[in-house]
Amino acid sequence: METFLSNLSLGFSVALGLQNLGLAFLGCLVGTLIGVLPGVGPVATIAMLLPITFSLDPTGSLIMLAGIYYGAQYGGSTTAILVNIPGEATSVVTAIDGHEMAKRGRAGAALAVAALGSFFAGSVATLVIAALGAPLTKVALMFGATEYFSLMVMGLVLAVVLAGGSVLKAVAMILVGILLSTVGTDLETGDERMTFGLFFLSDGIDFAVLAMGIFGVAEIMRNLAQPESRDVVRKPIGRLLPSREELRQSWAPVLRGTVLGSILGILPGNGAVLAPFASYAMEKKLAKDPTRFGKGAIEGVAGPESANNAGAQTSFIPLLTLGIPGNAVMALMVGAMTIQGIIPGPQVMTGNPNLFWGMIASMWVGNLMLLVINLPMVGLWVRLLKVPYRLMFPAILAFCCIGIYSINSLPTDVMFIGLFGFVGYFLIKCGFEPAPLLLGFVLGKLMEENMRRALILSRGSLSTFITEPISAGLLLVSVVLLAAAIIPNIRKGRDQMFVE
Amino acid sequence: MNPYDQRTETSRKGAQGAGGVALISIAALALWLTRDLDPGTLSAMGSGMLPRILAWAVGLCGVSLVISAFLHSGERLERGNLRGPLLIILAIFAFSATIRPLTIGSVTTPGLGLIVAVPVAIIIGGMASAEARIHELVMLSLGLTPCCMLVFCDMLNLPIPVFPQAVIETMPNGWGAKSMLRISALIMIVAAVMVFYASRKRAVTHRGERE
Repeated sequence: METFLSNLSLGFSVALGLQNLGLAFLGCLVGTLIGVLPGVGPVATIAMLLPITFSLDPTGSLIMLAGIYYGAQYGGSTTAILVNIPGEATSVVTAIDGHEMAKRGRAGAALAVAALGSFFAGSVATLVIAALGAPLTKVALMFGATEYFSLMVMGLVLAVVLAGGSVLKAVAMILVGILLSTVGTDLETGDERMTFGLFFLSDGIDFAVLAMGIFGVAEIMRNLAQPESRDVVRKPIGRLLPSREELRQSWAPVLRGTVLGSILGILPGNGAVLAPFASYAMEKKLAKDPTRFGKGAIEGVAGPESANNAGAQTSFIPLLTLGIPGNAVMALMVGAMTIQGIIPGPQVMTGNPNLFWGMIASMWVGNLMLLVINLPMVGLWVRLLKVPYRLMFPAILAFCCIGIYSINSLPTDVMFIGLFGFVGYFLIKCGFEPAPLLLGFVLGKLMEENMRRALILSRGSLSTFITEPISAGLLLVSVVLLAAAIIPNIRKGRDQMFVE
Repeated sequence: MNPYDQRTETSRKGAQGAGGVALISIAALALWLTRDLDPGTLSAMGSGMLPRILAWAVGLCGVSLVISAFLHSGERLERGNLRGPLLIILAIFAFSATIRPLTIGSVTTPGLGLIVAVPVAIIIGGMASAEARIHELVMLSLGLTPCCMLVFCDMLNLPIPVFPQAVIETMPNGWGAKSMLRISALIMIVAAVMVFYASRKRAVTHRGERE
């Protein structure tokens, strides 16, 4: 308990520094902005801002990037409630009842409950991260190369299982991602692999280039194909303070959503995305009168929004303690850390306690800022919604080009985001999701390294992965989960959950 | 999950075959590229082992996708409109060709700097939208370029060339690059505001004539 408090106070002393405070605010502001704007996601934005973090110190840059991520979760709900378009994929559920409330002139209450619920969930999730960080790190420090390899396999399997859509396609994307990570000079032997003899590929494919291509540029191409329609609520937003009745109805869903989101977020796959769906389903089951749902039930806003924010935040746990990114945003965080020379994993907490605890404390500070950014300033965000996409995407495109060029001053890098963008667009058209590819790419190098080391230690015997107890356990879990996802019966249930 | 996904769902099955073929070609390319690399042994993995295993696995996924596409009689691959994506790529290539001198084979492009590359990218890229209006894009590039110049080159001091090389060479001595940057940024912002008012005035008179 004492170390817990001293750790947290160390964290707050870092997070409340003037520069870090400013960066957290900037991150939250940018996050809210892109969360509000449909068509610009946190992944593309973080990819776009990666080059700028070069000039910042590691703690500051991670605080800013994290702020963008959870800021986008807040902003996404504003758009969902007011326009009935989910600003982010995770606020799909909020749009159902939130927009109905807005149509009845209760938009203010919906926004306030969403923000307050998110703040509560964010605060709890911050404590969960702080409490679980130290013990999980201790466990992870006992891991050797063999265990690490199996852990990464489990992380990737979970990412496949928890994502919607075809399991086979997700597996294929992960494999392609790992394959891409092997491009470049092999560190062990010095051989050039798959470089076409090109000079700029000998260092491997640049992470920022790949991420910006398959997320930033491909997303623009995808959005262009979809006609735009926004029906911004004409009714006034109404009183921001929810009535006593509404508060009474929402506190229990907020609590339940927070618990559910925190648990799902910790899973090393992309559990956070499931959280709002699961919470909505639960609230509907528990409600005395389920028919109210879909017609503006405040529980349908309070629960999912809290679950969403709690999950978004606890999904930092696998990254910070084990070094395993659960989703595309976390993969970008790994990229940002690596750019700064920090290898994500359990050693971050012991080696860089300032960064670890500072980032955790900044999350709570950021949540508080978001409350201020969102509620009183909601009118400003509504006005921003009137900027049409045809003016937004050329600007995004220009920022992408400048950002990538500024990393290495190489025009070829800029060309590559175009190529990767087209590849990403083609993959999306064929029904592949680009997120698993990025996860595979980020983990690929580490996986190869650990596999090599494990096999050297075992003198070339593959059985080492099943004879070591921890590794065997992790692999067993992966196999069971994968089987569960493929076996038709269970799969039907899983698909149903996504449909709901 | 994404509401947009449902619309494209019908095209997915036919696309499965195309996706499978794409995976197979990736696998084949990787196998061909790694043909000379030493796979080594399990106790001393060479540089070729993992890429080759992965390539085979990717190929296997591709084959099973193609087979399943045949089994479930899928619809045809939706013919997406390629105009948008191609214009986006063209814009990106135009940016990389104009930002600084780039040599491809025997051709060297003139380095024109940020002040040309950004408007070029915005206008070419902006045409990718079906609802693009040229005067809006001109206005956007006149407004956005000075902002980029001020933020990236002035405030953040990133090493990005701002002006065409020819201009820098003829620049009289004693002119600071920074002050020139600020002056030209100011001129562009003023121009953007003027274009904005001119186009609004025209829109107002147009509406008046119609009535």
